[in-house]
Amino acid sequence: MNILEMHDIHKSYNDLEVLKGIDLTVAKGEVVAVIGPSGGGKSTLLRCATILERIDSGKIVIGGDVLCDTKDEKIHYCDKKMMGEIKSKFGLVFQNFNLFPHFSVRRNITEALIHVHKKTKLEADIICDELLLKMDLVEKADAYPCNLSGGQQQRVSIARALATSPDILFFDEPTSALDPELTKGVLTVIKDLALEEMTMVIVTHEMSFARDVADRIVFMDGGVIVEEGPAYELVTNPKQERTKAFLAGY
Amino acid sequence: MFGTLTGCSVVLAVASLIVSEIIMNSKKKHYPEGAKIKKPAPVVILLAAAGVFALPLLVTIAYKLIKLVTGDKDTFVSTMKLLAQGFGFSFGIFIFTIIFSLPLGLIVAAGKMSKIKTIAAFFKAYVSILRGTPLMLQLLLVYFGPYYLFGITTGNIQIGPFNYRFIASIIGFSLNYAAYFAEIFRGGIQSMPKGQYEAAQVLGFSKSQTYFKIILPQVVKRVLPSVGNEVITLVKDTSLAQVLAVSEMFTQASALASAQVSVMPFIVAGLFYYVMNFIIELLLGLIEKSMNYYS
Repeated sequence: MNILEMHDIHKSYNDLEVLKGIDLTVAKGEVVAVIGPSGGGKSTLLRCATILERIDSGKIVIGGDVLCDTKDEKIHYCDKKMMGEIKSKFGLVFQNFNLFPHFSVRRNITEALIHVHKKTKLEADIICDELLLKMDLVEKADAYPCNLSGGQQQRVSIARALATSPDILFFDEPTSALDPELTKGVLTVIKDLALEEMTMVIVTHEMSFARDVADRIVFMDGGVIVEEGPAYELVTNPKQERTKAFLAGY
Repeated sequence: MFGTLTGCSVVLAVASLIVSEIIMNSKKKHYPEGAKIKKPAPVVILLAAAGVFALPLLVTIAYKLIKLVTGDKDTFVSTMKLLAQGFGFSFGIFIFTIIFSLPLGLIVAAGKMSKIKTIAAFFKAYVSILRGTPLMLQLLLVYFGPYYLFGITTGNIQIGPFNYRFIASIIGFSLNYAAYFAEIFRGGIQSMPKGQYEAAQVLGFSKSQTYFKIILPQVVKRVLPSVGNEVITLVKDTSLAQVLAVSEMFTQASALASAQVSVMPFIVAGLFYYVMNFIIELLLGLIEKSMNYYS
Protein backbone atom coordinates (compact mmCIF):
# COMPACT_ATOMS: atom_id res chain seq x y z
CA MET A 1 0.00 0.00 0.00
CA ASN A 2 1.27 3.43 -0.92
CA ILE A 3 1.28 6.07 1.80
CA LEU A 4 2.28 8.90 -0.51
CA GLU A 5 1.54 9.30 -4.18
CA MET A 6 2.57 12.37 -6.11
CA HIS A 7 1.83 12.49 -9.83
CA ASP A 8 3.12 14.97 -12.36
CA ILE A 9 3.63 17.77 -9.84
CA HIS A 10 4.16 21.23 -11.30
CA LYS A 11 4.94 24.25 -9.19
CA SER A 12 6.11 27.73 -10.14
CA TYR A 13 7.01 30.81 -8.16
CA ASN A 14 6.03 33.72 -10.37
CA ASP A 15 7.77 32.81 -13.63
CA LEU A 16 10.27 30.38 -12.15
CA GLU A 17 9.25 26.76 -12.59
CA VAL A 18 10.62 24.92 -9.55
CA LEU A 19 8.97 21.54 -10.04
CA LYS A 20 8.63 20.33 -13.61
CA GLY A 21 6.48 17.23 -13.40
CA ILE A 22 7.59 15.15 -10.44
CA ASP A 23 6.36 11.60 -9.82
CA LEU A 24 7.07 10.14 -6.42
CA THR A 25 5.49 7.16 -4.71
CA VAL A 26 6.34 5.99 -1.23
CA ALA A 27 5.15 2.60 0.01
CA LYS A 28 4.28 1.79 3.60
CA GLY A 29 7.41 1.26 5.67
CA GLU A 30 9.68 2.63 3.00
CA VAL A 31 12.41 5.17 3.72
CA VAL A 32 13.13 7.49 0.81
CA ALA A 33 16.00 9.95 0.84
CA VAL A 34 15.84 12.94 -1.48
CA ILE A 35 19.23 14.33 -2.42
CA GLY A 36 20.49 16.92 -4.85
CA PRO A 37 22.02 20.38 -5.13
CA SER A 38 20.46 23.43 -3.50
CA GLY A 39 17.73 25.02 -5.57
CA GLY A 40 16.94 21.70 -7.20
CA GLY A 41 13.40 21.64 -5.80
CA LYS A 42 13.84 19.12 -2.95
CA SER A 43 12.47 21.36 -0.23
CA THR A 44 9.69 22.66 -2.44
CA LEU A 45 8.58 19.10 -3.12
CA LEU A 46 8.44 18.45 0.61
CA ARG A 47 6.56 21.69 1.24
CA CYS A 48 4.01 20.72 -1.42
CA ALA A 49 3.51 17.29 0.13
CA THR A 50 2.96 18.89 3.57
CA ILE A 51 0.50 21.52 2.22
CA LEU A 52 2.78 24.43 3.11
CA GLU A 53 2.75 25.23 -0.60
CA ARG A 54 0.00 24.63 -3.12
CA ILE A 55 0.89 22.98 -6.42
CA ASP A 56 -0.13 24.36 -9.81
CA SER A 57 -1.08 21.03 -11.31
CA GLY A 58 -0.78 17.33 -10.56
CA LYS A 59 -2.23 14.93 -8.03
CA ILE A 60 -1.30 14.19 -4.43
CA VAL A 61 -2.69 11.27 -2.44
CA ILE A 62 -1.72 10.82 1.19
CA GLY A 63 -2.72 7.69 3.07
CA GLY A 64 -5.37 6.93 0.47
CA ASP A 65 -7.02 10.35 0.74
CA VAL A 66 -6.85 12.66 -2.26
CA LEU A 67 -5.36 15.97 -1.21
CA CYS A 68 -5.60 17.52 -4.64
CA ASP A 69 -6.20 16.60 -8.23
CA THR A 70 -6.17 18.31 -11.60
CA LYS A 71 -9.29 18.36 -13.75
CA ASP A 72 -9.55 20.31 -17.01
CA GLU A 73 -6.14 21.84 -16.31
CA LYS A 74 -7.38 23.30 -13.01
CA ILE A 75 -6.12 22.24 -9.61
CA HIS A 76 -8.71 21.28 -7.02
CA TYR A 77 -7.82 20.92 -3.36
CA CYS A 78 -10.01 18.94 -0.97
CA ASP A 79 -12.24 20.69 1.57
CA LYS A 80 -11.15 21.91 4.99
CA LYS A 81 -12.42 18.89 6.87
CA MET A 82 -10.59 16.42 4.66
CA MET A 83 -7.49 18.57 4.84
CA GLY A 84 -7.57 18.39 8.62
CA GLU A 85 -7.77 14.61 8.36
CA ILE A 86 -4.88 14.48 5.93
CA LYS A 87 -2.80 16.74 8.18
CA SER A 88 -3.10 14.22 10.98
CA LYS A 89 -1.60 11.56 8.69
CA PHE A 90 1.80 13.16 8.29
CA GLY A 91 4.39 14.93 10.41
CA LEU A 92 7.09 17.34 9.33
CA VAL A 93 10.47 17.97 10.94
CA PHE A 94 11.94 21.31 9.98
CA GLN A 95 15.53 22.20 9.32
CA ASN A 96 15.50 24.84 12.05
CA PHE A 97 13.17 22.94 14.42
CA ASN A 98 10.49 25.65 14.70
CA LEU A 99 9.69 24.64 18.25
CA PHE A 100 7.39 26.96 20.16
CA PRO A 101 9.83 28.86 22.42
CA HIS A 102 7.21 29.90 25.00
CA PHE A 103 6.11 26.29 25.61
CA SER A 104 7.99 23.74 27.68
CA VAL A 105 9.19 20.59 25.93
CA ARG A 106 6.15 18.76 27.27
CA ARG A 107 3.72 21.37 26.03
CA ASN A 108 5.40 21.50 22.63
CA ILE A 109 4.62 17.82 22.26
CA THR A 110 1.18 17.68 23.87
CA GLU A 111 -0.41 20.93 22.68
CA ALA A 112 -1.60 19.60 19.33
CA LEU A 113 -2.70 16.31 20.91
CA ILE A 114 -4.94 18.14 23.36
CA HIS A 115 -6.25 20.99 21.22
CA VAL A 116 -6.34 19.45 17.74
CA HIS A 117 -6.79 15.76 18.41
CA LYS A 118 -8.95 16.28 21.50
CA LYS A 119 -7.03 13.90 23.73
CA THR A 120 -7.23 14.36 27.49
CA LYS A 121 -4.27 15.84 29.32
CA LEU A 122 -3.51 12.45 30.83
CA GLU A 123 -3.53 10.62 27.49
CA ALA A 124 -1.32 13.29 25.97
CA ASP A 125 1.12 13.12 28.88
CA ILE A 126 1.44 9.36 28.53
CA ILE A 127 2.22 9.69 24.82
CA CYS A 128 4.67 12.47 25.59
CA ASP A 129 6.49 10.47 28.27
CA GLU A 130 6.86 7.51 25.92
CA LEU A 131 8.30 9.69 23.18
CA LEU A 132 10.69 11.48 25.53
CA LEU A 133 11.97 8.11 26.70
CA LYS A 134 12.54 7.12 23.10
CA MET A 135 14.33 10.39 22.37
CA ASP A 136 16.43 10.09 25.53
CA LEU A 137 15.04 13.39 26.83
CA VAL A 138 13.08 12.30 29.90
CA GLU A 139 14.77 14.77 32.22
CA LYS A 140 14.07 17.66 29.81
CA ALA A 141 10.27 17.46 29.94
CA ASP A 142 9.93 20.75 31.81
CA ALA A 143 12.81 22.56 30.12
CA TYR A 144 12.26 25.27 27.53
CA PRO A 145 13.66 24.98 23.99
CA CYS A 146 16.13 27.82 24.60
CA ASN A 147 17.84 25.72 27.27
CA LEU A 148 18.41 22.75 24.97
CA SER A 149 21.21 22.06 22.52
CA GLY A 150 20.39 22.04 18.82
CA GLY A 151 20.44 18.26 18.75
CA GLN A 152 18.06 18.04 21.69
CA GLN A 153 15.76 20.62 20.12
CA GLN A 154 15.63 18.62 16.91
CA ARG A 155 14.79 15.47 18.85
CA VAL A 156 11.97 17.32 20.59
CA SER A 157 10.65 18.40 17.22
CA ILE A 158 10.79 14.79 16.01
CA ALA A 159 8.84 13.79 19.12
CA ARG A 160 6.34 16.55 18.41
CA ALA A 161 5.88 15.28 14.85
CA LEU A 162 5.51 11.69 16.08
CA ALA A 163 3.04 12.51 18.85
CA THR A 164 -0.01 12.28 16.62
CA SER A 165 1.24 8.88 15.35
CA PRO A 166 1.35 9.86 11.67
CA ASP A 167 1.52 7.38 8.80
CA ILE A 168 4.43 9.19 7.23
CA LEU A 169 7.13 11.52 8.51
CA PHE A 170 8.85 14.15 6.38
CA PHE A 171 12.27 15.55 7.24
CA ASP A 172 13.54 18.76 5.67
CA GLU A 173 17.32 18.65 6.09
CA PRO A 174 17.01 17.67 9.76
CA THR A 175 20.72 18.01 10.54
CA SER A 176 21.72 20.98 8.38
CA ALA A 177 21.37 23.49 11.23
CA LEU A 178 23.36 21.37 13.69
CA ASP A 179 27.02 21.16 14.67
CA PRO A 180 28.61 17.98 13.28
CA GLU A 181 28.90 16.44 16.75
CA LEU A 182 25.20 17.06 17.46
CA THR A 183 23.95 15.44 14.27
CA LYS A 184 24.78 11.96 15.50
CA GLY A 185 22.01 11.79 18.10
CA VAL A 186 19.42 12.99 15.61
CA LEU A 187 20.56 10.53 12.93
CA THR A 188 20.46 7.69 15.47
CA VAL A 189 16.86 8.54 16.29
CA ILE A 190 15.93 8.51 12.61
CA LYS A 191 17.75 5.18 12.16
CA ASP A 192 15.76 3.70 15.04
CA LEU A 193 12.56 4.92 13.41
CA ALA A 194 13.63 3.23 10.17
CA LEU A 195 14.10 -0.03 12.08
CA GLU A 196 10.54 0.32 13.40
CA GLU A 197 9.44 0.55 9.76
CA MET A 198 8.27 4.13 10.02
CA THR A 199 7.51 5.48 6.57
CA MET A 200 9.81 8.45 5.98
CA VAL A 201 10.85 10.92 3.30
CA ILE A 202 14.12 12.61 4.16
CA VAL A 203 15.65 15.54 2.32
CA THR A 204 19.29 15.42 3.31
CA HIS A 205 22.87 16.26 2.46
CA GLU A 206 24.22 13.46 4.68
CA MET A 207 25.14 11.09 1.87
CA SER A 208 26.46 8.21 3.96
CA PHE A 209 23.42 8.42 6.18
CA ALA A 210 21.12 8.33 3.15
CA ARG A 211 22.99 5.32 1.83
CA ASP A 212 22.79 3.41 5.12
CA VAL A 213 19.26 4.24 6.22
CA ALA A 214 17.19 4.82 3.08
CA ASP A 215 15.69 2.02 1.03
CA ARG A 216 15.59 4.25 -2.00
CA ILE A 217 17.31 7.46 -3.01
CA VAL A 218 15.84 10.07 -5.30
CA PHE A 219 18.26 12.49 -6.92
CA MET A 220 16.65 15.80 -7.90
CA ASP A 221 18.10 18.63 -9.92
CA GLY A 222 16.58 21.46 -11.93
CA GLY A 223 13.04 20.63 -10.84
CA VAL A 224 13.05 17.05 -12.13
CA ILE A 225 13.96 13.65 -10.74
CA VAL A 226 17.20 12.87 -12.54
CA GLU A 227 17.66 9.39 -11.16
CA GLU A 228 16.21 7.13 -8.50
CA GLY A 229 17.00 3.67 -7.30
CA PRO A 230 17.96 1.45 -4.38
CA ALA A 231 20.07 3.51 -1.98
CA TYR A 232 23.30 1.59 -2.03
CA GLU A 233 23.28 1.14 -5.77
CA LEU A 234 22.56 4.78 -6.56
CA VAL A 235 25.35 6.03 -4.32
CA THR A 236 27.97 3.50 -5.38
CA ASN A 237 27.03 3.14 -9.01
CA PRO A 238 25.08 6.12 -10.38
CA LYS A 239 24.03 5.89 -14.00
CA GLN A 240 23.39 9.50 -14.97
CA GLU A 241 26.29 11.89 -15.60
CA ARG A 242 24.60 14.59 -13.48
CA THR A 243 24.31 12.23 -10.52
CA LYS A 244 27.92 11.14 -10.85
CA ALA A 245 29.08 14.76 -10.91
CA PHE A 246 27.02 15.56 -7.81
CA LEU A 247 28.15 12.52 -5.83
CA ALA A 248 31.77 13.14 -6.78
CA GLY A 249 31.55 16.21 -4.55
CA TYR A 250 31.12 14.02 -1.45
CA MET B 1 29.77 82.28 44.42
CA PHE B 2 27.61 79.44 43.10
CA GLY B 3 28.44 80.39 39.55
CA THR B 4 32.13 79.90 40.23
CA LEU B 5 31.53 76.64 42.07
CA THR B 6 29.36 75.25 39.28
CA GLY B 7 31.83 76.37 36.66
CA CYS B 8 34.71 74.73 38.48
CA SER B 9 32.91 71.45 39.00
CA VAL B 10 31.64 71.25 35.43
CA VAL B 11 35.11 71.99 34.03
CA LEU B 12 36.67 69.44 36.37
CA ALA B 13 34.11 66.78 35.56
CA VAL B 14 34.43 67.25 31.80
CA ALA B 15 38.23 67.33 32.02
CA SER B 16 38.34 64.16 34.10
CA LEU B 17 35.98 62.36 31.72
CA ILE B 18 38.09 63.34 28.72
CA VAL B 19 41.32 62.28 30.42
CA SER B 20 39.74 59.00 31.52
CA GLU B 21 38.50 58.28 27.98
CA ILE B 22 41.95 58.97 26.54
CA ILE B 23 43.68 56.75 29.08
CA MET B 24 41.10 53.98 28.74
CA ASN B 25 41.32 54.05 24.94
CA SER B 26 45.09 53.84 24.97
CA LYS B 27 44.83 50.90 27.37
CA LYS B 28 42.16 49.07 25.39
CA LYS B 29 44.61 48.39 22.57
CA HIS B 30 46.71 46.21 24.84
CA TYR B 31 43.89 44.29 26.45
CA PRO B 32 41.84 41.45 24.97
CA GLU B 33 38.29 42.34 24.06
CA GLY B 34 35.83 42.35 26.95
CA ALA B 35 38.58 42.56 29.61
CA LYS B 36 37.75 44.79 32.55
CA ILE B 37 40.01 47.82 32.67
CA LYS B 38 40.46 49.67 35.96
CA LYS B 39 39.89 53.39 35.86
CA PRO B 40 43.19 55.23 36.37
CA ALA B 41 43.69 56.73 39.83
CA PRO B 42 44.13 60.40 38.80
CA VAL B 43 40.78 60.28 37.07
CA VAL B 44 39.07 58.98 40.18
CA ILE B 45 40.61 61.81 42.18
CA LEU B 46 39.47 64.38 39.64
CA LEU B 47 35.92 63.00 39.67
CA ALA B 48 35.90 63.10 43.46
CA ALA B 49 37.09 66.71 43.39
CA ALA B 50 34.29 67.58 40.97
CA GLY B 51 31.86 65.90 43.32
CA VAL B 52 33.11 67.94 46.29
CA PHE B 53 32.46 71.15 44.37
CA ALA B 54 29.10 70.01 43.04
CA LEU B 55 27.78 68.71 46.37
CA PRO B 56 27.11 72.06 48.09
CA LEU B 57 25.37 73.22 44.95
CA LEU B 58 23.04 70.21 44.89
CA VAL B 59 22.34 70.50 48.61
CA THR B 60 21.45 74.17 48.21
CA ILE B 61 19.08 73.46 45.34
CA ALA B 62 17.40 70.64 47.26
CA TYR B 63 17.07 72.85 50.36
CA LYS B 64 15.56 75.74 48.39
CA LEU B 65 13.09 73.39 46.69
CA ILE B 66 11.96 71.86 49.97
CA LYS B 67 11.58 75.30 51.49
CA LEU B 68 9.60 76.44 48.48
CA VAL B 69 7.28 73.47 48.71
CA THR B 70 6.77 73.25 52.48
CA GLY B 71 7.38 76.90 53.38
CA ASP B 72 3.75 77.53 54.12
CA LYS B 73 2.38 74.34 55.67
CA ASP B 74 -1.33 75.15 55.28
CA THR B 75 -1.01 76.14 51.64
CA PHE B 76 1.03 73.03 51.03
CA VAL B 77 -1.54 70.73 52.60
CA SER B 78 -4.46 72.28 50.76
CA THR B 79 -2.49 72.18 47.50
CA MET B 80 -1.74 68.51 48.05
CA LYS B 81 -5.41 67.78 48.65
CA LEU B 82 -6.56 69.55 45.49
CA LEU B 83 -3.83 67.98 43.40
CA ALA B 84 -4.64 64.53 44.77
CA GLN B 85 -8.24 65.07 43.62
CA GLY B 86 -6.95 66.12 40.21
CA PHE B 87 -4.73 63.09 40.17
CA GLY B 88 -7.84 60.93 40.51
CA PHE B 89 -9.11 62.33 37.21
CA SER B 90 -5.70 61.96 35.58
CA PHE B 91 -5.53 58.38 36.72
CA GLY B 92 -9.08 57.78 35.47
CA ILE B 93 -8.18 59.06 32.01
CA PHE B 94 -5.04 56.95 32.08
CA ILE B 95 -6.64 53.68 33.11
CA PHE B 96 -9.66 53.95 30.78
CA THR B 97 -7.40 54.89 27.89
CA ILE B 98 -5.24 51.83 28.50
CA ILE B 99 -8.31 49.59 28.73
CA PHE B 100 -9.74 50.84 25.43
CA SER B 101 -6.67 51.63 23.37
CA LEU B 102 -4.82 48.32 23.74
CA PRO B 103 -7.56 46.12 22.21
CA LEU B 104 -8.40 48.86 19.70
CA GLY B 105 -4.74 48.96 18.73
CA LEU B 106 -4.81 45.22 18.08
CA ILE B 107 -7.85 45.64 15.84
CA VAL B 108 -6.22 48.51 13.95
CA ALA B 109 -3.03 46.47 13.52
CA ALA B 110 -5.04 43.52 12.18
CA GLY B 111 -6.93 45.91 9.90
CA LYS B 112 -3.74 47.40 8.54
CA MET B 113 -2.41 43.93 7.76
CA SER B 114 -5.68 42.84 6.16
CA LYS B 115 -5.50 41.22 2.74
CA ILE B 116 -8.61 43.15 1.71
CA LYS B 117 -7.17 46.29 0.20
CA THR B 118 -9.90 48.75 1.16
CA ILE B 119 -9.77 47.70 4.80
CA ALA B 120 -5.98 47.96 4.85
CA ALA B 121 -6.15 51.40 3.21
CA PHE B 122 -8.73 52.62 5.72
CA PHE B 123 -6.64 51.64 8.73
CA LYS B 124 -3.49 52.93 7.09
CA ALA B 125 -5.17 56.33 6.74
CA TYR B 126 -6.41 56.10 10.32
CA VAL B 127 -2.91 55.56 11.70
CA SER B 128 -1.43 58.18 9.40
CA ILE B 129 -3.90 60.88 10.44
CA LEU B 130 -3.92 60.12 14.17
CA ARG B 131 -0.16 60.05 14.35
CA GLY B 132 0.22 63.01 12.05
CA THR B 133 -1.93 65.58 13.85
CA PRO B 134 -1.59 67.02 17.36
CA LEU B 135 -3.25 65.06 20.13
CA MET B 136 -4.55 68.32 21.57
CA LEU B 137 -6.34 69.07 18.32
CA GLN B 138 -7.87 65.59 18.28
CA LEU B 139 -9.15 66.08 21.83
CA LEU B 140 -10.78 69.38 20.81
CA LEU B 141 -12.33 67.72 17.77
CA VAL B 142 -13.85 64.90 19.82
CA TYR B 143 -15.24 67.42 22.29
CA PHE B 144 -16.58 70.06 19.91
CA GLY B 145 -17.10 67.87 16.84
CA PRO B 146 -20.51 66.44 17.74
CA TYR B 147 -22.00 69.93 18.07
CA TYR B 148 -20.33 71.69 15.17
CA LEU B 149 -20.63 68.74 12.76
CA PHE B 150 -23.99 67.24 13.74
CA GLY B 151 -25.60 69.78 16.01
CA ILE B 152 -25.62 67.35 18.92
CA THR B 153 -25.45 69.06 22.29
CA THR B 154 -23.14 67.22 24.61
CA GLY B 155 -23.45 69.40 27.69
CA ASN B 156 -25.94 67.16 29.48
CA ILE B 157 -24.37 63.83 28.61
CA GLN B 158 -23.50 62.05 31.81
CA ILE B 159 -22.44 58.44 32.30
CA GLY B 160 -22.29 57.71 36.01
CA PRO B 161 -20.00 60.28 37.57
CA PHE B 162 -18.44 61.21 34.21
CA ASN B 163 -19.45 64.24 32.16
CA TYR B 164 -18.78 64.62 28.46
CA ARG B 165 -15.53 66.51 29.01
CA PHE B 166 -14.09 63.50 30.75
CA ILE B 167 -15.60 61.03 28.28
CA ALA B 168 -14.38 63.04 25.30
CA SER B 169 -10.85 63.09 26.64
CA ILE B 170 -10.91 59.30 27.07
CA ILE B 171 -12.26 58.83 23.53
CA GLY B 172 -9.61 61.18 22.17
CA PHE B 173 -6.75 59.56 24.03
CA SER B 174 -7.92 56.04 23.18
CA LEU B 175 -8.23 56.74 19.46
CA ASN B 176 -4.82 58.39 19.39
CA TYR B 177 -2.96 55.82 21.46
CA ALA B 178 -4.58 52.96 19.52
CA ALA B 179 -2.78 54.27 16.43
CA TYR B 180 0.59 54.10 18.18
CA PHE B 181 -0.11 50.73 19.78
CA ALA B 182 -1.25 49.41 16.40
CA GLU B 183 2.13 50.16 14.87
CA ILE B 184 3.93 48.55 17.79
CA PHE B 185 1.75 45.42 17.55
CA ARG B 186 2.16 45.26 13.78
CA GLY B 187 5.92 45.40 14.17
CA GLY B 188 5.79 42.65 16.78
CA ILE B 189 3.52 40.40 14.73
CA GLN B 190 5.56 40.86 11.57
CA SER B 191 8.79 40.10 13.40
CA MET B 192 7.55 36.59 14.18
CA PRO B 193 9.44 33.99 12.16
CA LYS B 194 7.44 32.30 9.40
CA GLY B 195 8.43 28.91 10.82
CA GLN B 196 6.14 29.40 13.82
CA TYR B 197 3.09 29.70 11.54
CA GLU B 198 4.26 26.75 9.44
CA ALA B 199 4.87 24.50 12.43
CA ALA B 200 1.41 25.34 13.77
CA GLN B 201 -0.18 24.74 10.37
CA VAL B 202 1.46 21.33 9.91
CA LEU B 203 0.36 20.30 13.42
CA GLY B 204 -3.20 21.10 12.42
CA PHE B 205 -3.87 24.15 14.60
CA SER B 206 -6.69 26.34 13.32
CA LYS B 207 -5.98 29.95 12.39
CA SER B 208 -7.39 31.33 15.64
CA GLN B 209 -5.56 28.71 17.72
CA THR B 210 -2.31 29.63 15.96
CA TYR B 211 -2.95 33.28 16.62
CA PHE B 212 -3.97 33.10 20.26
CA LYS B 213 -1.81 30.19 21.46
CA ILE B 214 1.35 30.52 19.41
CA ILE B 215 1.76 33.99 17.97
CA LEU B 216 0.18 36.48 20.38
CA PRO B 217 1.90 35.27 23.59
CA GLN B 218 5.27 35.66 21.89
CA VAL B 219 4.33 39.04 20.44
CA VAL B 220 3.48 40.32 23.94
CA LYS B 221 7.02 39.65 25.06
CA ARG B 222 8.48 41.32 22.00
CA VAL B 223 6.41 44.51 22.22
CA LEU B 224 6.46 45.04 25.97
CA PRO B 225 9.37 47.54 26.07
CA SER B 226 7.79 49.70 23.35
CA VAL B 227 4.34 49.48 24.91
CA GLY B 228 5.91 50.50 28.23
CA ASN B 229 7.30 53.58 26.54
CA GLU B 230 3.85 54.62 25.35
CA VAL B 231 2.23 53.88 28.71
CA ILE B 232 4.68 56.18 30.45
CA THR B 233 4.13 58.87 27.84
CA LEU B 234 0.39 58.53 28.35
CA VAL B 235 0.70 59.32 32.06
CA LYS B 236 2.24 62.65 31.17
CA ASP B 237 -0.03 63.24 28.16
CA THR B 238 -3.13 63.15 30.39
CA SER B 239 -2.16 66.75 31.19
CA LEU B 240 -3.40 67.65 27.70
CA ALA B 241 -6.97 67.13 28.94
CA GLN B 242 -6.53 70.62 30.31
CA VAL B 243 -7.73 71.95 26.94
CA LEU B 244 -11.12 70.39 27.62
CA ALA B 245 -11.16 71.91 31.11
CA VAL B 246 -11.24 68.47 32.69
CA SER B 247 -10.26 69.04 36.29
CA GLU B 248 -7.33 66.66 36.08
CA MET B 249 -4.13 67.30 37.96
CA PHE B 250 -2.37 69.64 35.56
CA THR B 251 -5.45 71.84 35.23
CA GLN B 252 -5.58 72.05 39.02
CA ALA B 253 -1.87 72.80 39.26
CA SER B 254 -2.15 75.63 36.72
CA ALA B 255 -5.07 77.17 38.59
CA LEU B 256 -3.35 76.86 41.96
CA ALA B 257 -0.07 78.23 40.61
CA SER B 258 -1.70 81.39 39.32
CA ALA B 259 -3.80 81.78 42.48
CA GLN B 260 -0.79 81.39 44.76
CA VAL B 261 1.62 83.19 42.44
CA SER B 262 4.02 80.29 43.03
CA VAL B 263 5.55 77.43 41.09
CA MET B 264 5.09 75.14 44.09
CA PRO B 265 1.92 73.40 42.73
CA PHE B 266 3.78 72.55 39.52
CA ILE B 267 6.63 70.99 41.47
CA VAL B 268 4.20 68.89 43.51
CA ALA B 269 2.34 67.88 40.33
CA GLY B 270 5.67 66.87 38.81
CA LEU B 271 6.30 64.67 41.83
CA PHE B 272 2.90 63.00 41.39
CA TYR B 273 3.65 62.24 37.73
CA TYR B 274 7.07 60.92 38.57
CA VAL B 275 5.93 58.67 41.42
CA MET B 276 3.19 57.28 39.18
CA ASN B 277 5.67 56.54 36.41
CA PHE B 278 8.15 55.11 38.86
CA ILE B 279 5.54 52.59 39.98
CA ILE B 280 4.69 51.81 36.35
CA GLU B 281 8.36 51.19 35.62
CA LEU B 282 8.52 48.77 38.53
CA LEU B 283 5.42 46.95 37.30
CA LEU B 284 6.75 46.75 33.74
CA GLY B 285 10.01 45.37 35.11
CA LEU B 286 8.09 42.69 37.00
CA ILE B 287 6.05 41.73 33.94
CA GLU B 288 9.18 41.57 31.81
CA LYS B 289 10.86 39.40 34.41
CA SER B 290 7.87 37.05 34.51
CA MET B 291 8.34 36.42 30.78
CA ASN B 292 12.07 35.84 31.03
CA TYR B 293 11.68 32.09 31.32
CA TYR B 294 12.27 31.74 27.59
CA SER B 295 14.17 33.66 24.97
